Amino acid sequence: MAAVSRSALSKSLSRLRPASNTLVNLYFVLWFCLVIIPLLVLFSFSFFETKSFVTTYTPTLNTWLSLLDSGRLTVSLRTLRIALTVTLIEFLIAFPFALWLAKGGVAKSTQAIILALLTIPFFLDLSSRIIIWRSILSENGLISHLLVESGLTSGPVDWLLYNEWAVHFGMLVTYFPTMVLPIYMAISIIDDALIQASADLGASRKDTLLRIIVPLSLPGILAGVILTLGPALAAWIEPSMLGGGFVNLLSNSVESAYSALRYPVVAALSSFVMLMLAILVVALAILARRFGSLGAVFSTLRS
Amino acid sequence: MNTLAIDHPAVRPTRTQLGDWTAWTVMAKWGGLLFIFLIYFPLAWLALMSISERPLSGIPLPLTMDNYRALVDDTRWVAPFSISLLIAVFVGIVSAIAATLVGRHLPNAKRSGLKLLLCVIPLFVPGMSMGAALFIVFRAMLGLKLGYWSIIAGHFIWAFPFGLLVVLVLTSRFDHRLVEAAEDLGASKLRTFLDIELPILRPGIVGAGLFGFLLSFNEVLRTMFLRGTSTTMPIYNWTMAASQQSQVPIIFALATIILLVTLPLLAGVFWVLYARIDKS
Repeated sequence: MAAVSRSALSKSLSRLRPASNTLVNLYFVLWFCLVIIPLLVLFSFSFFETKSFVTTYTPTLNTWLSLLDSGRLTVSLRTLRIALTVTLIEFLIAFPFALWLAKGGVAKSTQAIILALLTIPFFLDLSSRIIIWRSILSENGLISHLLVESGLTSGPVDWLLYNEWAVHFGMLVTYFPTMVLPIYMAISIIDDALIQASADLGASRKDTLLRIIVPLSLPGILAGVILTLGPALAAWIEPSMLGGGFVNLLSNSVESAYSALRYPVVAALSSFVMLMLAILVVALAILARRFGSLGAVFSTLRS
Repeated sequence: MNTLAIDHPAVRPTRTQLGDWTAWTVMAKWGGLLFIFLIYFPLAWLALMSISERPLSGIPLPLTMDNYRALVDDTRWVAPFSISLLIAVFVGIVSAIAATLVGRHLPNAKRSGLKLLLCVIPLFVPGMSMGAALFIVFRAMLGLKLGYWSIIAGHFIWAFPFGLLVVLVLTSRFDHRLVEAAEDLGASKLRTFLDIELPILRPGIVGAGLFGFLLSFNEVLRTMFLRGTSTTMPIYNWTMAASQQSQVPIIFALATIILLVTLPLLAGVFWVLYARIDKS
């Protein structure tokens, strides 16, 4: 009875808005052309190459092979290493924090304030947020000044800026929210009754964490990793402002290829970033299957 | 030993674990709060250094308004600022409209999961890759002259998913019996939309518009590829910061002003959104 009336309802609803449906479908076609097609074109462009500033449109693997050149390979490996380190540290800090925020008995209003504080940075200008670190970390900056004043160091501290550690640090601060928010969302919808049941059945807190909370928050963890690792692999502002030219990452390679009009190289490097992301996410998903199947998680969430 | 453990299976382990657990909770809490501090401390420092005589030094004193005076005298930032403002307003309005259109459609649509995924893909594509992809299609493939229109396109692709998610929060809880009741009482479709749906969805639509505005106003990575010869505010900040140290104090002053406008605006949006969501 209920099913019949529901289908009748949806039928009457769909009859109500045929005009808006065509508009929405038109929008989806436009969106597809603007988002998906460029990404496919980007990928196919990486199979062309540039000869004397002109792109030749014959399929070749030369551009991809040129990524294996000693210089570019070093840069790629360095980028991968820094991005993975940042993502791992981010996860180690963000997961416990998200767990505390969602299930640690934090007041609703405090939760809302913290969530807002974590969302606001998305809308702030990154270059001014990063460049100010120079006046904090540099040789005559705040920290160095405080250290000298307090007598902890004899001279100014010059190793806080323009090196890999500064780049790591800048990226850690920038990408913290992208790791916390998805994990928080995944944990906050876990039913408290499940956690309570696990405790009632005599599971230790560690067991509850590893066998209930972690498996059920896997989609959030995966989303957090994608949202953090992607920008970290393509980081542009942090390495150039805090690395001071000493830390070359993939973004520098893209920039120089772009200004040299070598578009297939730009395409290959950008595709490489997305491929790395895809490979790591698939690897994580397979690894996650040992904890519990992702499909089961989704069906639990849906119910 | 063994019998003791069996006699009191719960007591001892629970107590020690609870001790460990408290330590972990404290660490979890303060670790995260430290990072939130690290996000906001530079903003406060930026505001402080913007009124400092030596903005790049470790001590803000002595204070001065010189940087703001220099900002008023130097007019080079005005053009990029106004262009950014115009583009951001446009992107905000278009995202709000598009997010409303798609957000009303998705909850009752066929294959809504797939459609939602299609819409939020730009969230998962690094800005550099998306910018490069659009650049190659527009410039290298189609040979178009890049300018404001391509910046708008790039910004819209970035802003729309955020706007859609905000609108979806409200549309996915929308009670369609309200619309039916209005229809039964003889209201026209337009009236129903204006008098019933719009007031309920308004916080989401306004939120989508503001998010679009702010995301566009602060966008760097996609703009770098799509700007052609035009300059937006963040690009101006970026090139000045990267190349000319003497310009940095002016940038601090300008960034502070933008922050003073942006932060209350955002706080307002979140207040309205959370207040509304708690009520519904």
